[in-house]
Amino acid sequence: MSDSTEDRSGLTRRRLLQVGGASAAVAIAGCGDIYSDDNPATETPTNETEPDEPDQPDEPATDQLAYGNCWICHHNCGQEVTVKDGATVDITGVDGHPRGSAGAGTEGTVCPKGQAQIEKVHDPERIKQPYIRENGELREATWDEAFSYAADRLEQFDDDHGSETFLNAASWTTTPVVNRFWKNLYGTPERISRGIHVCAGPTFMTGGMMGVGSNNRIPDYQNSEFIIAWGRNMLESFAGQFEAKGVLTAIEENDATLVTIDPQHTETAQKSDEWLQIRPRTDGALALAMANVIIEEGLYDESFVREETVGFEAYRNAVEDKTPEWAAEKTGIDAEKIREIAVGFAEAAPAAGISQWTGTAQYANSWKASQNITALNGLVGNIDRPGGLRLWQSAPTADPFEVCEFTPEGESEPIQGVDLPNNAEGKQKAIDKHDEYSEYPLRHIEGIAHNLVPDMVDNGHINGIYVHYDNPLKDGNAAAWREAIEEMDLVIATDAYWNGVSRNADVVFPDASQLEKDTLGTGSWSAYSDRTWVTGSTAAVEPQWNTRPDYEIIAGLAAAMGWGEYFPWEDNREIINDQLSEVDLTLSELESGGDNYELLAEYEYETWKSSDGPTFWFDLGHIPPFANAAEEAGMTTAPEWQPPGTYGDEPGGEYPLEFYDTRAVFFSHGGDQALKGSQERYARRHELEDEDYRGNYLVLHPDDAADRGIETGDMVDVVSETGSGELMAYVSGSTRRGFTTTVYGFGPGSVQPEEEGMNSMDVHSKQMDPITGMVARHIAVDVAPTGGELS
Amino acid sequence: MSENWVFYYDFNRCIGCHSCAVSCKNYHNRDPGVSQREREMADWRNVNHYESDEGDAFEEIPISTSCMHCHDAPCVDVCPVDIIEIREEDGIVTHDRPDCISCKQCLDACPYDAPTFSEAEDNKMSKCNLCLGQGTGSAHGQDKRETPEDGGVKPSCVDNCVGEAIKAGPEEEMLELASDEAVERFENGAHNQRVIVEPMRTGSEDVESLVDRVGEGN
Ligand code: SF4
Ligand code: SF4
Ligand code: SF4
Repeated sequence: MSDSTEDRSGLTRRRLLQVGGASAAVAIAGCGDIYSDDNPATETPTNETEPDEPDQPDEPATDQLAYGNCWICHHNCGQEVTVKDGATVDITGVDGHPRGSAGAGTEGTVCPKGQAQIEKVHDPERIKQPYIRENGELREATWDEAFSYAADRLEQFDDDHGSETFLNAASWTTTPVVNRFWKNLYGTPERISRGIHVCAGPTFMTGGMMGVGSNNRIPDYQNSEFIIAWGRNMLESFAGQFEAKGVLTAIEENDATLVTIDPQHTETAQKSDEWLQIRPRTDGALALAMANVIIEEGLYDESFVREETVGFEAYRNAVEDKTPEWAAEKTGIDAEKIREIAVGFAEAAPAAGISQWTGTAQYANSWKASQNITALNGLVGNIDRPGGLRLWQSAPTADPFEVCEFTPEGESEPIQGVDLPNNAEGKQKAIDKHDEYSEYPLRHIEGIAHNLVPDMVDNGHINGIYVHYDNPLKDGNAAAWREAIEEMDLVIATDAYWNGVSRNADVVFPDASQLEKDTLGTGSWSAYSDRTWVTGSTAAVEPQWNTRPDYEIIAGLAAAMGWGEYFPWEDNREIINDQLSEVDLTLSELESGGDNYELLAEYEYETWKSSDGPTFWFDLGHIPPFANAAEEAGMTTAPEWQPPGTYGDEPGGEYPLEFYDTRAVFFSHGGDQALKGSQERYARRHELEDEDYRGNYLVLHPDDAADRGIETGDMVDVVSETGSGELMAYVSGSTRRGFTTTVYGFGPGSVQPEEEGMNSMDVHSKQMDPITGMVARHIAVDVAPTGGELS
Repeated sequence: MSENWVFYYDFNRCIGCHSCAVSCKNYHNRDPGVSQREREMADWRNVNHYESDEGDAFEEIPISTSCMHCHDAPCVDVCPVDIIEIREEDGIVTHDRPDCISCKQCLDACPYDAPTFSEAEDNKMSKCNLCLGQGTGSAHGQDKRETPEDGGVKPSCVDNCVGEAIKAGPEEEMLELASDEAVERFENGAHNQRVIVEPMRTGSEDVESLVDRVGEGN
């Protein structure tokens, strides 16, 4: 089902015919609703996952078509999966899908990491059944044993330490009930999530405070005439493939100019009209100089600035002396080039957009960089105008706890809604409760910081943790976290793979992977600039081995804790149907008609016109908690230049190189480095597939490599003041001299089954942005051939 | 103009993501999840990355290639047991695989290094069959290749190409998609008219010579 106003049947028929040849098409087309509510999914699961001998062509009659929405990077691109005898054998995209295509009438695809989803279903490296710790060792357990063991331990924990010292670190769950379980029922106020804490806190928070939310990440590509990829590589590290497709469309159809600002070459840089190879961590200087030019030349949107913004005077003062010549010295970019880009951006505005996300948010002085960059949007008045910074809207969904209808045990009449208590009420977070954290300005605006958790464990303020999919060991002070995990009294892990947390947990619940689960996506940005949308799918295959979908894990644990009454749903599909009731849809309706998405309400541009009061804040003095944090951190509330090293590391002396961790198009975060197909592809990309090594590669500039006698394929040590790691070198002119990077999510503690490669966080100690506590990922290091001397 | 199938490739839309290569492997069930270390099975579609220079002049250009189903296929001429053929009905180059003697002369002759030989596939030649069949050795003797409009499958690499950089179909249809400049080059004999390639929008290296370099090793 998709847009009811479009006739898509032609496309649909073709897509169906494509799956497994003509005879399968009949089988599939004859029951488009194979996976409808009345006829639930597929065959008995099988552990026989060996692919057929290549010489024996498939038996098309047993092929079935199922949908999915991808959770490899959690951005929900539509999937069409071919299922054969209970095994996922092929995968492709859904045409016109909001996240996985370029929009109406275009092809849907699945990116290389997304394609690994069919491998993940049958990956023998997965955790296949529950485990509990007995006499210090993990042992296999039944689900009932694991649930009752976990329940006993949680009750004991509450008696011993208080539930408020238990940290909920669940991320990217596919069910909406997890946080309710921990907060409302178990009663912990402690929660850490990814976005702000380890991904891009300053991007999210400056955007929020400046009035545009986190929409500063993804502009309205399709309508844009000038796109700046600022520390972003959206042609490879996209949040849904529509990003790459949208940029290519803008270039082709609008003749858009693409500018990439990045210390390292990327595929986005390659396709750009201009690549500014900026000195790392000086983005804030470039942004101020651009504003200087735009104001000097009178190219800003005067009426927007006058009528819709606050703090322009402070902004003007801050950029007054920040000339392109001044910035050239800081950034290493030619002053004339800075002028040219500033003028190009301002002249194309409002159809000019900036994409900023992790690249400008993962260093210790990145709060100001993010603020300075986001400010440019307000200056040229591109806010919620076609081709500019889009204020994306999401489809509304109902709260399943409010709308569910069920008949309680022992009753005869159905009732509506679950009356959830709030057992966290009145309980304080460690950061607010204890003096030990009073030196951290971030406490004014954040409830916790990733790098402070080990201290909190040391201090006895956090004593247990629930980790769900996310792996804290790949995102901050890994060494301290490892010790903290050991020290905690209770560690519960829900995951598909073994890693440094699940291996050390007291209870391990094996999570089914996405294609074995019912999922829903309702996110905001997409290939449709003016429509909200939903996408959903029922499981393509049964949970493999003795795994369960995460809803069933939480519901099972709740039942063991005596809270079964709060979880009246049979499975996640019922929850999704409750969520979808808000827009009068069901999962099976979503999956009918040849696709698995639906375009919903249309929404306008310039939505700010309908509300009184300012739209955009250059100066953030209006937010007292921020003003307090800024004062303590020694910064102003307006845009401002903060040089690298103001906080965090500064390379030099014994550690002359700047190290940073990046992503590859083959992996999302650290969750999929276990997959052999993806490892293989990453190796081939570097022409290192013949080496007996499947870890990450250290990208090193040829001069830096020559100084140290290092060649591509050599094993090297990366050493910082506080830690080290070993990995294989890849010498390339793609990086700047003095700047060296690797893909994160490998090495000790990672899901890579042999823990091959370097855990990029092993060189990290506690560097962070003082305002959000966001982990700072630029570290001063040196590199030497393994076993050799540092230079 | 002919009905023979050709590939069309727009470098400007290729983001070097390898989705095409992964998709090919999945579709043809050629062990996508098995490490090369354990069971070598070479790719039918390859994405090569050509790096040059450094500093802000650095370039890295991805080029995705497979068997081009050449109308003048050099592999056909060199095969000593004469099992490779250019099909009259659609121009697809297939081979009668069981009779392959693994001499690898086709690989030596191929301008794109398309033929592969893997122990896991008895060391007999296997290569892209334009998804005429599904799986190694499945194409020989199949009926005429239909376009997706007529019920044929879309080539899997095309189907999952994130940038929509690769397309394949009868030459006539592909020339209609191409820019005037690409058509002109093709008609002037670029790549011996084996593949239609768009000119590059950014990048100083010439995509024409890069495509031709694929078979020469980097
Ligand atoms: S972009 Fe993300 S969500 Fe989309 S297919 Fe790739 S991994 Fe999946
Ligand atoms: S056409 Fe088919 S066989 Fe050839 S490279 Fe593409 S996917 Fe592989
Ligand atoms: S899938 Fe398309 S964009 Fe990606 S490498 Fe292959 S040809 Fe290029």
